[in-house]
Amino acid sequence: METSAEPATDAAAPTPAEAAPRMTRPRACVATGVSAGLAAHLGWPGWIVRTAFLVTSIASGAGLLLYLWLWALTPWAPGDERPTRRAPVAWLLVSAAVVSLLAAAATSPLIALDTVDGGSDGIAWWLFAVLGGVGLAVASGAWASFIDRPEPERGPRHELTIRLVVTALLAVTAAALVLGPTAAWYPAATLAAALAAVLGIGLVYAPTLVTAWRDLTAERTKRIREEQRSEIAAHLHDSVLQTLALIQNRAGATSEVARIARAQERELREWLFAGDTSADSDLGTDLRDFAAALEIDHPVTVDVVVVGESRERASGEVAAAAREAMLNAARHAGGEVSVYVESTPEAVEVFVRDRGPGFALAEVPGDRLGVRESIIGRMRRAGGSGEVRAGVGGVGTEVRLRFPAERTEQMRG
Amino acid sequence: MAERVRVVIVDDHSIFRSGLKADLDDTIEVVGEAHDVETAVTAVTDAAPDVVLLDVHLPGVAVPAGTSGGAEVIRRAAASLRQAQDGAEPATRFLALSVSDKAEDVVGVIRAGARGYITKGSSGADVSRAVHAVSGGDAVFSPKLAGFVLDAFGAAVGETASASDELDRLSAREQEVMRLIARGYAYKEVAAELFISTKTVETHVSAVLRKLQLSSRHELTAWANARRLL
Repeated sequence: METSAEPATDAAAPTPAEAAPRMTRPRACVATGVSAGLAAHLGWPGWIVRTAFLVTSIASGAGLLLYLWLWALTPWAPGDERPTRRAPVAWLLVSAAVVSLLAAAATSPLIALDTVDGGSDGIAWWLFAVLGGVGLAVASGAWASFIDRPEPERGPRHELTIRLVVTALLAVTAAALVLGPTAAWYPAATLAAALAAVLGIGLVYAPTLVTAWRDLTAERTKRIREEQRSEIAAHLHDSVLQTLALIQNRAGATSEVARIARAQERELREWLFAGDTSADSDLGTDLRDFAAALEIDHPVTVDVVVVGESRERASGEVAAAAREAMLNAARHAGGEVSVYVESTPEAVEVFVRDRGPGFALAEVPGDRLGVRESIIGRMRRAGGSGEVRAGVGGVGTEVRLRFPAERTEQMRG
Repeated sequence: MAERVRVVIVDDHSIFRSGLKADLDDTIEVVGEAHDVETAVTAVTDAAPDVVLLDVHLPGVAVPAGTSGGAEVIRRAAASLRQAQDGAEPATRFLALSVSDKAEDVVGVIRAGARGYITKGSSGADVSRAVHAVSGGDAVFSPKLAGFVLDAFGAAVGETASASDELDRLSAREQEVMRLIARGYAYKEVAAELFISTKTVETHVSAVLRKLQLSSRHELTAWANARRLL
């Protein structure tokens, strides 16, 4: 390295470590990115690296081994995009297989003649060409399955085409071997080659078979797990849930012990039925969770009833206003709180009802913004309506929230 | 509530039976207890009580697959009571008690003939009130059950019965009553809100119960299978 010889003369000269960048394979590459990566690493032109690989591969195979080694161990260049390959590697491999097999086919009469003459050196080369062809064909199938398939511009259709071509090629090869002239003179070698071709067909489809087998096993495991789960659920139902229910009704609904039992019961149920809740949180699920949290912090039991398919998101204004109303009820009323959520095609409605001392909105001073702002104002700004009124017969308070459905659609769009 | 109500408690947990017995108020007299399907049928037939408090989940040797022990007790006990009374319709009524979260089970016992359903977490006073209501011929609906009924009969998507004898949909009035019950209103409060008498509310609730028992609407079972009530 020239730069390392005189490092002091030029402070800006890069040190050797910096001069050679870390070897990575570019994400947009010809076949594997090894040559381009190595060229960039060494600072050589790409064609020299490629020629060097080619020559050393033909000469002794060392270049091929180095290439494979680098391919296996060199990481992709950092980035998010999926690697893309310009060269149709699978098709090139198929072509190479065809060439190799055609060469073997063309020479087979000669080999048969050789035998008559007592020569046996030709058969080794012939066998090498046949097996090499089969190997290349299988490699093509593997390339299409493992490397090309995830690429969007190639994909499953490309994989299928390659597989069909490879299958046809190997089937013809096997047939030609059995019927060809070498079968008479070298039955063992020919049979082995034919067998290799048939095995090759199997190998091409092996990834699919393995996947199918794995899916089947996973399916079975899942079923067994489901069965075990429902068995456990049935058992817990008959024991723990009953006990928790008993604790609740012996201890009085709003006592601390009962609240703990209720929280425990809820957790247990959630665990038992973890499978059947939707992943994204809708309004009903969200309010249920919020109710559970309230019950832990306040002497209150909150009954949440949800009717209709909720299209409302948990993050929406309705949910925020409903949570505020529930919190108010838990704080100021306690006891039993009923929450009712109904989603119709026209509107989403939420009712929060408590049986506490109650209060009239008119009597709340203007500086106490809680109810006015966070419930009624919020609903009005969002395009819905909110109302706080005394419960029936003057018992407790009822908050009603209404949000028209078109609004929900608009906000979604 | 002066009249005494005779009750049989059926539950496979003795601790729950004794707890409930201690909690019920003194207008209710417990005349029998049972812990599984077979003993329940015997106890109910022998005592012929006004109300049977029935756990939905009960062990029993011969509970057919797809139904709960509770539903089986109702079917068998009703048959054997009818036989004992020479074919007269028995006066015994069933109230389901459950920790069940499966609407399937609760709807199952109601369709088998129970007059209502309350959760096991309910206080002794609540259970006593429900027992009196059921013995008086009323139906007992929890807010959850009312919500389920609204869903299952398509009330949320605007389905309304056009004729009064239609079994597969709820009338507009029945929907209003169910909505208020789902919102946590007691019958008395529903009556005040709708400007009708409590008796009329009870009539509507009984009508809904009848539809729940007799309707062949497939959502009833479909919803029940897919959803949890609690």
